[in-house]
Amino acid sequence: MAITLKELLESGAERLSLELVWGEGRLDRTIEEKALNRPGLALTGFFQYFAQRRLQVLGLAEFTYLKSLSSEEREARLRGILDKNVPAIIISRNRNPLPELQMLAEEYGTPLFRSTMITSHFINECTLVLEELSAPRDRVQGTMLEIMGIGVLLQGKAGIGKSETALSLIGRGYSLVADDVTEVVRTGGRVMAFAHELTRYHMEIRGVGIVHVPSLFGVSAIRRDAMLDMVINLHPYTNDADEERTGLQPTEIEILGIKIPYFALPVSSGRDMANIVEAAALNYKLKLLGHDAAKELDEKLIGNFLRKTVKL
Amino acid sequence: MTEEKTILCEFKVLNKYGIHARPAALLVKTAGKFSCDIFIGQKGAEVSAKSIMGLLTIEGHQGTRLSVRIVGLDAEEALAEIAELFENKFFEE
Repeated sequence: MAITLKELLESGAERLSLELVWGEGRLDRTIEEKALNRPGLALTGFFQYFAQRRLQVLGLAEFTYLKSLSSEEREARLRGILDKNVPAIIISRNRNPLPELQMLAEEYGTPLFRSTMITSHFINECTLVLEELSAPRDRVQGTMLEIMGIGVLLQGKAGIGKSETALSLIGRGYSLVADDVTEVVRTGGRVMAFAHELTRYHMEIRGVGIVHVPSLFGVSAIRRDAMLDMVINLHPYTNDADEERTGLQPTEIEILGIKIPYFALPVSSGRDMANIVEAAALNYKLKLLGHDAAKELDEKLIGNFLRKTVKL
Repeated sequence: MTEEKTILCEFKVLNKYGIHARPAALLVKTAGKFSCDIFIGQKGAEVSAKSIMGLLTIEGHQGTRLSVRIVGLDAEEALAEIAELFENKFFEE
């Protein structure tokens, strides 16, 4: 998925202190290779292996070098780079674009950006922004919560009580990330979940309507995003459901190609779902710490039984 | 309408590891399919076959003879399925 310059400018305006110097009408250009290049060698006239599909960053070194050249020479060197049809040129350290550069940008239709950040910081941060922009993303049905550092996605049919369970958990001091619709994005082998910007921090409770969670419960009741650690599916209680009774055989589902532990919890009257979801999350946390209660009990039982078998 | 029945019988635990968590879960799942009450026990102490924590306490290691008491309308069907589990060593090994 190629990123357009417009997307880069939108998400980078604040994080990268990025501003457009020239090229308003050319922002639909795409960045084919999500990386940055400092065209030092290219400025000297050496173009073998020139990374022309990347964003080109002119930092202090490049600027000082260009300044050391005569105006004609400067134009010729810069022309060499713009001639390669690079996606855009970014000037860091808040330098004023050289007149030759501005002129050539307009001539070639290459957008010109400027950032106040110092070059190395800019390159690090911009790489992250590009990574995030191109990360696989999706929207899943479910209410996302954060329980003691464990990101839990509550799923289930409409009316099963996802929002009500979430409300109880918020009352216990845990945080809401998203109600009913959760955006997910893959970052470095994990899945990050957050709410859609428009509905963020709101939830709908049947009979009450739409509420603004931080206004009702305070800012500690919300979180902007959380890593997705487990999926809990609430389903109506049935007698013959193939339910997990021991916790010895964990199941998983795939979200954005990443396997996420999955728990199906039956709902019936008298079962306090908030309590059970909390227990499931904490038990999972315990597992992460290296304690698998179900496995430990089973091993104890088997050890006990085997000793007795030998004696008989 | 069939009559409520009480069946008493005995099964030997054949699988090497006994009634640990996995076989217990299988028993609970099977027992849960029937409306009858099923009790499994040893030496007079019996527990409901629909309780996993109960089944883990009966100490059903290999070679143990467990008594099974089934009370209800579908007792015979339940017995058949439970017998299958014991005979097949709970599909272990």
